[in-house]
Amino acid sequence: MKSKLFALLAVLVLFSLALTACQPAAPAPEAPAEEAPAAEEAPAEEEAPAAEEAPAAEFEPMVVTAPDCDYGGLIKEIAAVDELTVQFTMCVPDPAFPSKAAFTAFSIQPKEWLEEAIPSGEILEKSVGTGPYVLDSWNRGDSIVFKKNENYWGDAANADTLVFRWSTEGAARLLELQSGTVDGIDNPSPDDFEVIRGDDTLALKDREALNIFYFAMTNTFAPFDDVNVRLAVAKGIDRQRIVDNFYPGGSTAASHFAPCAIPNGCVGDEWYEFDAEGAKAMLADAGYPDGFETTIYYRDVFRSYLPEPGLVATDLQAQLQENLGITASIEVMESGAFIEESTAGRLDGFYLLGWGADYPHITNFLDFHFTSTNPQFGDTFPEVYEVLTEAAQIADPAVAEPLYVEANNALRDLVPMVPIAHGGSGVAYQADVAGAHASPLGNEYFAATDPGGRDTFVWMQNAEPISIYCNDETDGESLRACEQTVEALLSYEIGGTEVKPGLATSCEPNEDLTVWTCNLREGVQFHDGSMLDANDVVMSWYVAWDAASPLHVGNTGAFEYFTYLWGNLLNAE
Amino acid sequence: MAPELSVKQKDYRSNSLWRLTLRRICKQRSAIIGLTLLGILILTAIFAPLIASYDPEKVLIGVEDIKKRQAPCIHVLGCPEDEPQHIMGTDGNVRDEFSRVIYGSRLSLLVGFSTVGFAITVGTLLGAVAGYLGGWVDNVIMRLLDVLMAFPSLLLAIAIVSVLGPGLQNALLAIAIVSIPIYARVVRASVLSVKEQAYVSASKALGASHFHILVRRILPNSIPPLIVQGTLGVGTAILDAAALSFLGLGAQPPTPEWGTMLGSERNQVFTAPHLVFFPGIAIMLTVLAFNLMGDGLRDAIDPRLSQDVKTG
Repeated sequence: MKSKLFALLAVLVLFSLALTACQPAAPAPEAPAEEAPAAEEAPAEEEAPAAEEAPAAEFEPMVVTAPDCDYGGLIKEIAAVDELTVQFTMCVPDPAFPSKAAFTAFSIQPKEWLEEAIPSGEILEKSVGTGPYVLDSWNRGDSIVFKKNENYWGDAANADTLVFRWSTEGAARLLELQSGTVDGIDNPSPDDFEVIRGDDTLALKDREALNIFYFAMTNTFAPFDDVNVRLAVAKGIDRQRIVDNFYPGGSTAASHFAPCAIPNGCVGDEWYEFDAEGAKAMLADAGYPDGFETTIYYRDVFRSYLPEPGLVATDLQAQLQENLGITASIEVMESGAFIEESTAGRLDGFYLLGWGADYPHITNFLDFHFTSTNPQFGDTFPEVYEVLTEAAQIADPAVAEPLYVEANNALRDLVPMVPIAHGGSGVAYQADVAGAHASPLGNEYFAATDPGGRDTFVWMQNAEPISIYCNDETDGESLRACEQTVEALLSYEIGGTEVKPGLATSCEPNEDLTVWTCNLREGVQFHDGSMLDANDVVMSWYVAWDAASPLHVGNTGAFEYFTYLWGNLLNAE
Repeated sequence: MAPELSVKQKDYRSNSLWRLTLRRICKQRSAIIGLTLLGILILTAIFAPLIASYDPEKVLIGVEDIKKRQAPCIHVLGCPEDEPQHIMGTDGNVRDEFSRVIYGSRLSLLVGFSTVGFAITVGTLLGAVAGYLGGWVDNVIMRLLDVLMAFPSLLLAIAIVSVLGPGLQNALLAIAIVSIPIYARVVRASVLSVKEQAYVSASKALGASHFHILVRRILPNSIPPLIVQGTLGVGTAILDAAALSFLGLGAQPPTPEWGTMLGSERNQVFTAPHLVFFPGIAIMLTVLAFNLMGDGLRDAIDPRLSQDVKTG
């Protein structure tokens, strides 16, 4: 009996051993038959991770090159030199490269994510950045909720949750702040500044006037084709009266087109003094002793450079009538149509428009508005754009100063527009918010604000972001939302304009400023867990640069800021 | 007994529709209030240059030492004598609010009467033709007007102004167009009832033309309900025009129009409440005047609601 038991036990042991032995062998015969061809077809890049962790040696650098510089853009080549080095080769020297590369419109997202999310359109609703906050949910028409990025490479955000809300009415925003339902609001109405200052529970942060509001004319329409008419208008408007009555403290009447805080912004002769009699006489000499009839166009949208557009338009209407005998009717246009018509030079009367700094460089003001290709003011002036082109290639502001003097004086003589004001504005917070600040560029950074120890920081701005893919956005409300989740190669100091390291620890030029080499920060993780490398940078820039790329798709597909700042797009029709 | 009879005969002779109506109106307190308010409004509009202390479009920057959106300053109520008097304060462009409200009455009356006048003219024409001819003409006209009525009137007005472009003239046209169906229906209903009367049949028997019968026999007897509807319609038209102007689609700056004044200062409810209060009150009183008048007229003209008939 015992021997039978041992025999059975031995059989069981042998059987189990046999089973164990057969287990790994079982799939083996099938695997080579099916997987081998796949392995042969798979490219080396995809096979590598299966074998082991991707070593740095297998990084395949991405390079995008323009055939030549005749396409009209500033960029010749964007190349990943190695995993953490990106090189930008320019067609002409570009001293403003760091200022421009720090702009949120050139933020970096993972290459693989862009390839997947752009065709599907998901990129407009969701971002995979490296910023201190991760987009959690976007409740269209109501709010956007961000959660703290626990793996952020820099200083972690103070509040666990960041909520963006919006309201177009300044009074409504202030009411929310006063009732404590939000922690910060953008652009309180100028008339409310004193109310906020007088309230102990609130704090007002003044935003530096890094903008320009101008009264424009298109010189392809009579009578604005006559420089003497434009000069008469320039002298016949009391700009100080507008600033005194319709702008908050911190605003100034513009002495030049660009603000003085921008290097070389206000070099050259100051704008004309107000002289109603001289202006009237000049208009009479130009053949309009009784003035003429025209229209003042504007959009009823609050901007830091024009906080009360309706009132300013009405005052300009009164001044034109009073000082020059010009009878102007007022036409309020829908915002999008107004921008389209004015920037294309199709408005036949006066129009009210302005510009806020995207990056703190003189080229952002003068070069954009007065280049040879901008039809906004009608026929362009070689006296201005030729000098600007030359000046833009000089890195040292002191060396470039004589050229900007020449350009500013030419603008004063030719009067394509009348610069009226640099408008101060403000941001209001609950008094217990630590780190409260107002950015002169309008890109407040809320990771640095601590809402009095509360878990959630609620921000209320003028309008809902249009999309969260800011590489194809020009809307400031969208750009501020993006600022919290995505980052560019460089960054601006919090509440200031100085360029600081961002995803790149540095961007260094060669001697003639035509090659900029950016060294990426090590160990930066995207919100999806992938690691930042040079190809992510090249891809993020490439989709905006190459108009023929199937990935050159965004909200409008225009990638306007790319064109503004880097010239024509590659392969543009 | 004889003198008593002569008084009754005299009453009978003088009891034309209009005299009866006036007498009945005078017996209604609300109608009297409406009539009084309307009278004041009309006088204000006529004598605006005498009542207003400033040019309503005059910007006072540099003229007086005064700021924009200044609170009302009335000397007899304690405002310092060295400060310029502005009964309703100043607006965002430093213009006298009182003068603008006073001049605004002109525009509001113009809007009310011109739009209703246009709508009554066209509506009467369409309603009379539809009611008198009947058949397919009636069907076509009334169904088209039904389609027009199916849209919310203000929304339709906004759509029309959006197509024509903003401005007072286009706003007036839009309001007039959306008001047409109401008057056409009222006239048609009256015509349908009046054309069956014996005196109309008599005119037909005497060989009168359709035009003669319609214009001389039927329409004059269809007017009373139209007047009631028109009076009520003026108030609605003024409200619609104010709404369009509030939205920036009606009167354009610097025209002193109450809706525009409200719209341009809508954000100042807390900081300068007088700038929304006074134009708002002006609109409210004007519309109330026309509504009270309309109700009074309706009660006076409609025999079913007449006190005389009920008791007599």
